[in-house]
Parts: sequence; structure tokens; C-alpha cells
Amino acid sequence: MPEVKSIFREVLPKQGQLSMEDVPTMVLCKPKLLPLKSVTLEKLEKMQMEAQEAVKQQELAMKEQLQ
Amino acid sequence: MEVTMDPLFLAWSYFRRRKLQQCSDICTKILQDNPYDQDSSLLISEAAWSLKTRALTEMVYIDEIEVDQEGIAEMMLDESSIAQVARPGTSLRLPGTCHGGGPTPAVRPMTQSGRPITGFVRPSTQSGRPGTMEQAIKTPRTASTARPVTASSGRFIRLGTASMLTNPEGPFINLSRLNLAKYSQKPNLSRTLFEYIFHHENDVKNALDLAAQATEHAQFKDWWWKVQLGKCYYRLGLYREAEKQFRSALNHQEMVDTYLYLAKVYQRMDQPITALSLFKQGLDHFPGEVTLLTGIARIHEEMNNISSATEYYKDVLKQDNTHVEAIACIGSNHFYTDQPEIALRFYRRLLQMGVYNCQLYNNLGLCCFYAQQYDMTLSSFERALALVANDEEQADVWYNIGHVAVGIGDLTLAYQCFKLTLAFNNDHAEAYNNLAVLELRKGHIEQSKAFLQTAASLAPHMYEPHFNLSILSEKLGDLQSSYSAAQKSEDAFPEHVDTQQLLKQLRQHFAVL
Repeated sequence: MPEVKSIFREVLPKQGQLSMEDVPTMVLCKPKLLPLKSVTLEKLEKMQMEAQEAVKQQELAMKEQLQ
Repeated sequence: MEVTMDPLFLAWSYFRRRKLQQCSDICTKILQDNPYDQDSSLLISEAAWSLKTRALTEMVYIDEIEVDQEGIAEMMLDESSIAQVARPGTSLRLPGTCHGGGPTPAVRPMTQSGRPITGFVRPSTQSGRPGTMEQAIKTPRTASTARPVTASSGRFIRLGTASMLTNPEGPFINLSRLNLAKYSQKPNLSRTLFEYIFHHENDVKNALDLAAQATEHAQFKDWWWKVQLGKCYYRLGLYREAEKQFRSALNHQEMVDTYLYLAKVYQRMDQPITALSLFKQGLDHFPGEVTLLTGIARIHEEMNNISSATEYYKDVLKQDNTHVEAIACIGSNHFYTDQPEIALRFYRRLLQMGVYNCQLYNNLGLCCFYAQQYDMTLSSFERALALVANDEEQADVWYNIGHVAVGIGDLTLAYQCFKLTLAFNNDHAEAYNNLAVLELRKGHIEQSKAFLQTAASLAPHMYEPHFNLSILSEKLGDLQSSYSAAQKSEDAFPEHVDTQQLLKQLRQHFAVL
């Protein structure tokens, strides 16, 4: 719409001193997309979990036998 | 009258339906009923024996091509790489040397080894390569960063003992009493026995013995045994011998698997360029083979050449449009190159394909937020939280929700989210850094400084905590520690403009003094 004139006009100072200060600001760490897991990795982790469970249960059984 | 099925046939049927435990039970019974010493039942018991070894192997089988873990010993006492100081672009160990238009750490987070985080983790991508011994020992053990095991065989041994735990009568085959020479003469038994020893018992030395005798019996003409020999040598860390076996196997028979194994050897010997040319050679014989294309893309990604990695992942998708790894990697690349809308389409495709886990919903939530689809954001994160499997994942999801809170300006919520992150994972360096920034906004200078120091010591590879610490110290007037922090920030991210300016200012200060 080139015809319509805006009531606000931009102001660009042409006279006097123009100063700009670049203040370093603190940076945040970025958001983290989580990587998907490969099938092999999921299977490995599942097997490891099961193994840990098995060990735990065997130890519990041993303790009960001793008592 | 009830007609009973032949037990061996039933066992075979169970095996095909992957009901492995039932299959193994029936085989055990057959073996008890048919003693080995009678000629009449020898065939049946041999068949049952072989089937049982296969069933037990299948229970713990992991794709050997994918399994690759370097322990501390392999990482730090590495003798197999040829050049200790490699030229830029020829080594996987110096990832920062080759910038192929990938995003800088200012937009894309880094893993400990200095690579941009990837969209997909495999067992081998887990082990980042820390620079020093101290760092290797200190590395937090989370799935997304690095997980040094004391030696590469550590996990295999644990899996091996796990398989023995499950049957209390002891192991099915007593390897020390086995006459390997006898079995190596019988081609129909030796292969299943080898796979049992290699995958189930994880006894590489005996497996190697069997393979060596069997390949001799086959007059060194059987490519399969050569590949198995190569696998054993690889596990034992004898890479040159493994290479020889795989090369010889390729001369007998072109197989995709052999190319993949051989490329794995070259990658372990830190020769990515050789591996790349090998993959291309493989593609001449098997045009459009997805695993080979993926291999090329992975190497490019590991060498920090993200744009050509994406090209190859696109080639993969042309051949197989349901390839999860390719979709995830392209998606994450779009997200970090400021195109969250396109990333959203890729992750939505994964959702349509039936991938249903915490990571995917977390990524969908982030993409929705940055693509300004606010209605879906929080519900995606809620799903992600409902699907978490462990505390580390929970921490990461809360960390990302914290970012959404920062984005909408709700700093109290952000503060709580980052606090929750730390409650679930006390080693979350990014959360410490972001908390420090929020604390400083509240005017708690000492608290902020403490958080930044914690973050910097937990993750020396990230530039953010060093840079923030440098700014904070400079404001407090402690120019010396500001300078040293800025230098660390420069080491982590040399192209960072703000760090450069800060260093310049500080040097001017010191010159004036």
C-alpha cells in the first residue's frame, strides 16, 4: 500500500552525536533436542536392566536363605 | 485320543515365533530324553542341541556392527591410530578442524568431545573422546554425554554373566570341556556353536579357536568364517589382523556386512577417509544400499561436516523413507539452523511412523514452541514427562520446559524448572548456568557466581559458564579471574565475538596499568 501515508514517521537523528554501546550480556545455554535411541542401544539398556534385576533378586533370595 | 506334536517340530515353531524360552525348554527336555551315546537318537539330539544354542544366542543377540564402545583404556592408551597429530580433516579425534557450514556452539549445544549434539544416539556415539585422563575419569555418566567404561569388554562381560545367572544349573555348554576340533569338522553344528560362544558366552578366545580351526577345515575358502575371525580379532583389539581377514573375505564374496565391519575397523584406527572410500567402493557393488549410505553420513557428522552429512541422510531417505536415524538427524539439523517448522515436520513424521517415547515428544514440544504453535507445546511436554524412563531424561525435559518459560517471560516458572532439573540430575551443567543467569537478574551475585563455577567445573567443554563468569568477574572488578575465564571460553569456542571483545578490553586494561 504505497499510497497510504503513515502518521508516524521514522526518526533518524542526523545532527549531534550518535553513540552506541554494546554491553556484553550473560548467555543462556541453548535448548537441547534429545537424541532418539537406536534399537541396539535400547536393547542393550533393557538387557542390562534385566540383568541388574536378576542379580538383585538372587541376592535377596540368598539373604533370605541365610536368615 | 489327543495327538501330540513332535517336540522338535514344536520347538522349531516356537523358535520361529521368537518364543525363545519355550523353545529352549523343549530342547532341554529332548536332550534329557535322548542321551548322546545312542546312534539312533544322535541326529535328533544334535538337532535339538543346535536349536537350543540358536535360541539362547537369539535371547542376548546384539547387532555386532552397531556395538562399539571404547573404554578409558582404549581411549587414553591408544596405540592403533597412525598419526598422533593428524592433519585437519583427516581424523575423527580433532572434530573442530573441519567446519562444513555447521552451526556454531552459539546455537547448537556441544557434546563433551566438541561435536555438535546429534539427533540420534547409537552405542558408539555415546563415548565421547575426552581430551585428558582427568576429564575421562570425571565424565558424568549420562546417556547423552559420555560413558567411559573401564575397558571395552566391561559391558560384554556383564552381559555374559547375566546370561549365566538365568539358569541356575550352570551354563548349557561347558566350554572348557568342549572338543573344539571335533565340532569344527561339522559345518552344520560349528556355526551355531560359534555364535553361541561369541554372543552368549562372550568368550572371544574360545570363539577365535573354533573359527580358526573351522576356517582351516574349509581350506580357507569360506568367507563366513573369515568374517567371524575378523570379528574376534576386532574384539581383541587386533585391528590389523581383523582388517586382513575382512579383506580376504571380501575377495571370496562381496557382502554388505563385511564392508560395514571393515569400515568399523578403519574408524577405530582413526582413518575416516579410508573408511569413506571403502563405503564408496561398497556402493559401486551395492548401489543405493542404505546401511552404506548411513555409514558415510555418520562419518561426515562425526567429522563435524554437518551439511554433507545431511546430504547423505537425504540420500538414505530416498532409498528408505522410514529410516528413523536419517529423519531424526535431518530434523535436529533443521532445528539448529533456525528452521523449527521444518524440523517439526520431520519429527511429526516419526510420530506417524509409530515412534512413541519421551525424547520424541520433548523434541516435538521444543519445535512447536519455536515454530510458534503454542497450543501443542505444553501438552507435548506433558506427554514427554509421562513417558520418561529415568531421572536423566526427566531432568532434560524439565530443562527444556525451563527454556519455554524463559521464552514466555515467566522467570519464576523458569527458576523452578531449572531447580527441578537439578533435583533429578545433579550434574546438569546447562541448568546450573541458566540458574546463575536468573540469580544474577535477582541480584544474588554470590549465588550466581557459585552456580557458574559449578557449571564450569562440570562441563569445561561449554563456553557459556566461562564467558558468564568472565563478565561477572569483570563487573565485580576482579579482572584477573575475568581474564582467565575468558581465555577458557575462547578455548571452548574460538570464534565467539563477545569473548574476543572482552579479551581485547581486558588486555587494554592491563596495558594501561
